[in-house]
Amino acid sequence: MSGTIRSVSVVWLLLLCLVLCRTLTGTGAAPICANAQAGCYAVSLANLFDRVVQHSARMHGISNDLHSEFEQYFLPSKNQVGRVGRNCHTSTILTPNGKENAQRMAREELTEVILKLLVAWRDPLWHFHRSMAHHHDFTNFSSDKALEMSDMVHELRKGVERVAEKMQTLGLMSDPVNSQVSPEALPPPDSGEWRRMKDYDLLYCFRRDSNKVKNYLKILKCRIVPEHGC
Amino acid sequence: MKKPSEAVLLLLLLFFTPHAKGTRFSPPGKPALTRCRSPEKETFTCWWEPGPDGGLTTTYALYYRKENSEAVYECPDYHTAGENSCFFNKNDTSIWVNYNITVVATNTLGSTFSDPVDIDVVYIVKPNPPEKLTVTVMEDKGWPFLRVSWEPPHKADTRSGWITLIYELRVKLEGEDDWEMHLAGQQKTFNIFSLRSGGTYHVQVRCKPDHGFWSEWSSTSYIKVPDYFHREKSAWILIMVFTAFIFLILTWLLHMNSHRSLKHCILPPVPGPKIRGFDEKLLKNGKSEDIFSALVVSGFPPTMSSNCEDLLVEYLEVYVPDEHELMLEEGKDLHDHCLKSEGSTSDNDSGRGSCDSHTLLMDKCGEAKEQGRQTEQEERPVETQRHQKEWNEDTLPYAHEDTVSPDMSSGRVKTWPSVFCPLPQYSSSPPNHTSSLEIAKQHCLSDSLFPPGSTSSYLTHPGHSTKETLGPSRWEFSLSNKQPRSLHPQMQTRQQLQARSDINLSNVGCEQAPAGLLPPTARPTEYVEVQRVNEEDMVLLKPVASGRGCGDGCPRLRQAEDYSKVKGVNSDHTLLLQREVMGEEAERCPCQDQETNGETDSCITSSTVTTTQKPPACNYTAAAVQDKMAPTVSGYVDTASIFTLPTY
Repeated sequence: MSGTIRSVSVVWLLLLCLVLCRTLTGTGAAPICANAQAGCYAVSLANLFDRVVQHSARMHGISNDLHSEFEQYFLPSKNQVGRVGRNCHTSTILTPNGKENAQRMAREELTEVILKLLVAWRDPLWHFHRSMAHHHDFTNFSSDKALEMSDMVHELRKGVERVAEKMQTLGLMSDPVNSQVSPEALPPPDSGEWRRMKDYDLLYCFRRDSNKVKNYLKILKCRIVPEHGC
Repeated sequence: MKKPSEAVLLLLLLFFTPHAKGTRFSPPGKPALTRCRSPEKETFTCWWEPGPDGGLTTTYALYYRKENSEAVYECPDYHTAGENSCFFNKNDTSIWVNYNITVVATNTLGSTFSDPVDIDVVYIVKPNPPEKLTVTVMEDKGWPFLRVSWEPPHKADTRSGWITLIYELRVKLEGEDDWEMHLAGQQKTFNIFSLRSGGTYHVQVRCKPDHGFWSEWSSTSYIKVPDYFHREKSAWILIMVFTAFIFLILTWLLHMNSHRSLKHCILPPVPGPKIRGFDEKLLKNGKSEDIFSALVVSGFPPTMSSNCEDLLVEYLEVYVPDEHELMLEEGKDLHDHCLKSEGSTSDNDSGRGSCDSHTLLMDKCGEAKEQGRQTEQEERPVETQRHQKEWNEDTLPYAHEDTVSPDMSSGRVKTWPSVFCPLPQYSSSPPNHTSSLEIAKQHCLSDSLFPPGSTSSYLTHPGHSTKETLGPSRWEFSLSNKQPRSLHPQMQTRQQLQARSDINLSNVGCEQAPAGLLPPTARPTEYVEVQRVNEEDMVLLKPVASGRGCGDGCPRLRQAEDYSKVKGVNSDHTLLLQREVMGEEAERCPCQDQETNGETDSCITSSTVTTTQKPPACNYTAAAVQDKMAPTVSGYVDTASIFTLPTY
C-alpha cells in the first residue's frame, strides 16, 4: 500500500514539475510586436490575420449559439410583428452589403468599419452579460457565453488594431484610418437606444454584426495575404 | 328523433350541393414559401408551394420588403429558377439585410397571401456540391492509400474570402451500405488509409459555408485499389507459424503435465548412488559390521551361490609342520578379516580398486601397493614372459573350462597370493564376470584364492600382505589394481605375472625353505601347493618351495601363490576348494611330488575324489561356480580350470 502511494505521489510530482516547467518556459508568452523589438517577437501579417480571422469566427459562433438558444426557449412564437422594424443601434454604421461593395471598399475603410463595429458592441455586450447573469432563466452556459462574447469583442478589437498597425508599418495601409476609429471619436450611440433593445434583438443584431466582422476580415486577409486558405 | 334530423341534413345537403357545385371556383388557397436558398451568398431563390387553386387559374406573385424600408418590391425573376420560384439576382440581393417575403396567390375570385417569411441571405447559403472530384491511389511504404481532391463549386467565391467553405467526404466499399464520413475542414485534399486490397471504393464530397446548409453530395467517383495480397499473405504466414508453434508447445506441456510433472521432464532426477543394502541408518549407528553385513548381496557373484562365502576360498588349509601352522592361524585371522571385507565390498556398484576401497583393507593395502610397485620394477622380463606364458595358458583354459594343468604347477594346485586379487579380471573370463572381478580386486590384499576365470569371490587377507615386513613380498597387486578395468587378459596376465615374479623374487630372496609346505613364516600368506591327492581323497598340499625344481620357475611362482582350502573333488575331476572358516584339515593332493605340469595333470585327474569333508562352517555352495568357470570359485586356485566346486 505504501509502495503504491509513493509511486502515485512520485507521478504527481513529476506531473507538477512538467507543468511548472512548461509554464516557466512559456509557450508564446512573449508579447507580439508589430516590429521585432526586444522583449517581444514579431508575428507575420499572415499570422496576425489568421489569428484575427479565427477569433472573429469563434465570436460569431458563440453569438449564433446564443441566438439559437434564445430563439428556441424564449420566443416560441415567431410571429414577431416588430421584427422587421427592428433597428440595430449599429445600423448607422455604413457597411457594405454585398461582395462587390466590400471588394470595392478600400482596405482602410474596411478596417475602419470593422473597428467601428467592434467598438460599438463593447458596452452593449457587457451589459447584456450583466443582465443575463441576473436572469435566472438563462443557463450558466448561456451566461458564460455572453461573458465570453463580450471579452472576445474586446480582444478582437485589439487584434484588429494590431493588424492595422502592422499593415501601416508594412506600408499596406495609410495612417489616418486609425485616428478615426478611436472610441472617443466615435459618437456614442444614443445611450438609451440599445438599452431598450430586448435581449433577443440585441443578440440578433450582434449575430449579424459579428458575421460582418468575420467576413470583412476574411476579405481583407485574402486581399492582403492570400497565401493560405483563400 | 333521429329521423327528422337526418331529413334536415339531407335537405341541407340538397340545398348546398348545387351551391357547392356552383361555387366550385374559389379564391386560391394559401400558398406557402417553402424555402429560400442562396448558392453563393450573392443571389438567392425562393420557392413556394401553391395552395389549392380554387379551380380557377391562379397566379402567384412574390413581394418582398427590405429591412427598414417600407417599399415593397416584387420578385424580379419568376422563371430562372423554375416553377413557383423567385430568383433574386445580384443587384437585388443585399446581404445582411432582412427580407420579408410574401407570396400572393390570385385568381379571379380573390387572392390569398401567404405567411411572410424573414430571411437573411447570409443564413440561407447552400452552396453547390464541390466539383472536379478526383481519387487516386498512392503508396506509402508499400501500403496504398487514396488521395481524394476536389475543387469548390465554381460559383462560390472562396478566393476572395467572401465565402469560407468546409468540406466533408464519404467513402464506402462497393456493395456495402455504410458510408465512412470524413470531415476535411477547409482543405481540398484528403487521404484515406486502411484500404482493402482489391476493393472498389465510392467517394463523394460535399461542402458547407461556416454557417449555412450542406450542399448536395457530389457525383460519385469510383476507384479500384490494386491488390497487395502478397504482403498480407506473408503476415498471415507468420501468424500461422507462430500459432502453430504455440499450439505445439501447449500440447507438449499438456502431455507433460498429464504424464508426469514438467519439472520431472526438464530436470530429471539425478540418480543417486545405489548401493544395495546400504542403509544410512546403519551408518549412523556406527556399527560397521551391520553396514557391511547389510551390503552383502545375496546372489553375488551371479554365477555362484548367493552365499559369497562359498565363493571365496581363502586358502587351503594344509597340514604342515608347526612352523606352518602359525601361518595357518594367521591366515585364519586374515580370513576373518577378509570375510568382513568381502562383505563390505560385495556390492554391485563397487568398481573400486581393491586398494581404494573404503573397507578396512585400506591401510593394509597401502603397504602392499607400495611394495608391489617397487617390486614391479624389479621384474625380470624373462620371468615375466614365462609367467605370462604360463599364465596365459592357465587363464585360457580357465576360461574355456578346460582342465589345464598349470604349467607352473607340477600337479599342484597353485593358489595365487592375495596379490592376485584382481586376477579374475585378468583372466579371460567373460565380461559377465566383471563384477566378480572387481570384487576380487578389492580383495587384492588378501591371500584370497580365486579361480581364474571365475567370478569367484575371494577372501582377502588384508593382513597378509601388509603385515609382513617382507619388502619383496609386496605384490604387484597394486599394479593390478591400477588397471582394474582392463579385462585384457594378456596385459593383466603380464602384470600379474610380474607381480608374481616380484613376489617370487622377493620370496626367493627371503626364504629358501623348500621343504616347508608353506612359505616362510615371514610371509603373511600361505602358499600351498597341491602335490597330490591321497587315497583319502585329500589333497596334499605343500608349500611352494622356492628352490623346487620347477624348471620354469614355477616354484617361484608358487611361492607367491595362495592356496585355498580344498573342499573336495567332484566327479568331474575338479578340486573343490573352499575357504575355510575353521581350521579344518586340509586335504592334500596326493600328487605331492609331481611338480611338473604333466604330472600335475595326471595327478589331478586322478584325484577323482569325492567330496571331502567339508567344514560345516564353510559352507560354500559350489553352485556359485558355474560349470563354465573353469577354476574353483573359492580363493585363488592356480588350477582353477580344473577344479570346479560341486553343487551342493
